[in-house]
Amino acid sequence: MSFIPGLGIVKGMALTLRRFFEPKATIRYPEVPADVSPKFRGRLQLLYDEWGTLKCETCFQCAQACPIECIDMGGIDTKGRYHVHWGPPEQYGERREESALRRSGRTVPDKAYEHFEPIDTDRVEAILEDHDHDPKRMLQILEAVQAELGWLPVAALKHISFRTGAYYALIYGTASYYRHLRLDPPGDAVQGRAFDAARPAESTYLSGLGAALEGRGAAAGGGAATAAGVSAPAVH
Amino acid sequence: MTTILRTPAGWPSIVLARAESLRAQPAMAFDDPSAALDVAVSAGAFEGLRRAVRDLGPTGTIETVAASGLRGRGGAGYPTGEKWRTAALTDAPRRYVVANGYGADPGSLTDRAMIEADPFLVVEGLAIAAIAIGATEAVVAVRASETEAVRRLEGVISAAEEAGFLGPDLLGSGHDLSVTVRPVQGAYMLGEETVLLNALEGRRGQPEQRPPHPAERGLFGMPTVVQNVQTLAAVPFIVREGAEAFTRIGARGAPGTILVQVRGAEREGVAEVPLGTPLREVVALGGEPGRGRTLKAVVVGGPSGGLLPPELLDTPYEFDALRAVGAHIGSGSVIAADDRACILDLARLLTGFCATEACGKTIPCRIGTRRLVEIADRIVDGRPRPTDLQLLADLSADIVASALCDHERLATLPLTTGMRYFRSELDDHLLRSSCPAGVCRPIAVGAGSAR
Repeated sequence: MSFIPGLGIVKGMALTLRRFFEPKATIRYPEVPADVSPKFRGRLQLLYDEWGTLKCETCFQCAQACPIECIDMGGIDTKGRYHVHWGPPEQYGERREESALRRSGRTVPDKAYEHFEPIDTDRVEAILEDHDHDPKRMLQILEAVQAELGWLPVAALKHISFRTGAYYALIYGTASYYRHLRLDPPGDAVQGRAFDAARPAESTYLSGLGAALEGRGAAAGGGAATAAGVSAPAVH
Repeated sequence: MTTILRTPAGWPSIVLARAESLRAQPAMAFDDPSAALDVAVSAGAFEGLRRAVRDLGPTGTIETVAASGLRGRGGAGYPTGEKWRTAALTDAPRRYVVANGYGADPGSLTDRAMIEADPFLVVEGLAIAAIAIGATEAVVAVRASETEAVRRLEGVISAAEEAGFLGPDLLGSGHDLSVTVRPVQGAYMLGEETVLLNALEGRRGQPEQRPPHPAERGLFGMPTVVQNVQTLAAVPFIVREGAEAFTRIGARGAPGTILVQVRGAEREGVAEVPLGTPLREVVALGGEPGRGRTLKAVVVGGPSGGLLPPELLDTPYEFDALRAVGAHIGSGSVIAADDRACILDLARLLTGFCATEACGKTIPCRIGTRRLVEIADRIVDGRPRPTDLQLLADLSADIVASALCDHERLATLPLTTGMRYFRSELDDHLLRSSCPAGVCRPIAVGAGSAR
């Protein structure tokens, strides 16, 4: 290619000049609605109902219907609780094969859905009867239900909410606050560890205090206080 | 059973006055609560309640308690008489009395010792308070893991109901009172009064904005007097002997005695100490530091307590004086640390516990205390940032300024008092990357350099 001085700038200015006289592409958005595809559904997100629970039943029909397989969901949030996050599986540490299997429409045995499994409500009902269906005695009801079932499944909390008339969010708030109440099944390896890690805050403090007073370093006496409850438990 | 330390001969005793003679009795094993009650009654239990019902009446009782200058033993030291007066004057269909025996600090067993040593005194004080403010329902909140305390309280209450000291028309006064024991568990914050009330209502244990104080609007929206079990245990003495006798004991602004959990080099246990006793004598109950060791710091007030240097040992053990030097009565724990302990390591542990146990309602508390622990972690690990000291001071001030409850207000104390009184040790960590106690393993890097 021959070298002609100034050719580059002439080419560039020619493009500028051409664009200058073309019609403008600015859309005056709020006044003039944007021209989007009729199939556009906006940003994908999971909505909550007035009781603070997810409206989404996680049936995966949307994921199965999606032609380009862009919808995917996982069942464990960073705290090991049951809420459902939407997004690429990498973000919630779920294995790809598992989510592919779920998209296929077959039922998948999943620990994350253990919380949603139906329970024998008669046993909960008997406890509620003992406590007069009184939402003011919620702590005693929850303790009794946990003694009966071993833990507090979502189905039990929802049943308590339905029968006592207390907001589900209020019950969930109570159940998730007290250390002795557990929202995970006792034998669960992954979530059980998260549960046990948060438990011994008091004994960790006492052993740490003894170690600190004897000059062994508080961290030596059973882990630093920060390790017990501050850090989020690992998932998978 | 908790260890009760022997105190010097001249020290007065109010709440544990008859504990020793009661303990010698075989009936106090509580196999038969009514037999235990008979023994206690012959030792003078429920005399105060009788006097409150027959001679003083509700207003007279409140006036006597107010004149005695009794202050809450739960740590804050609010005047008891004032609280009762507010609750009695607030117009409401019903009122409650809540005895707080939760004893949140895992290292302090004062509330448990009180209940186990003399549960009659607690129940009697509870009944006097209920009659004074006109409450018909009373709750004793105890730690669920302390099964012995729960068993004794339930025994005392059922026996006292049978004997007519509690229940409908108690002692012929025409006043009804039902007392229930509520074992609670699962959170450190339950020791705070509004948190405890929320827990009793079956809700999430988070503190409430004050005012209105619980004395105006507490349990289920009704006026509620929340008192530590030790405060209630002091009430029968005041009613029986009069306010004069009570004000003669203890400090000027804070009469009476208080249970202290002393942890020293030789002994650990609960002792009844008159308020205003110099800190030196309280620490001495735990024994001298070991051979070749010197006392380095005293942690006064439990996990959120202040670290006081030996120069401040003459401070009277009393609400206002301790607050003035940066500590507080708190859970009633006094821990002596000798020169094996590293101040920063200790402060990090204490603040770390407060951060772990923060309920999460106030954001400066939930996040700020964690940032404080991280700063302390950086200093202990020998990689402090140049701004860390300033950040520590600023953040502590912000947390205190935005505090909703006393937990948040006091959680910064271990680090701030450590900074104030042990500056040279802090400088050793920050500037010379060394730990005088040899506890921390600082990395040998230049002064103040970031990682």
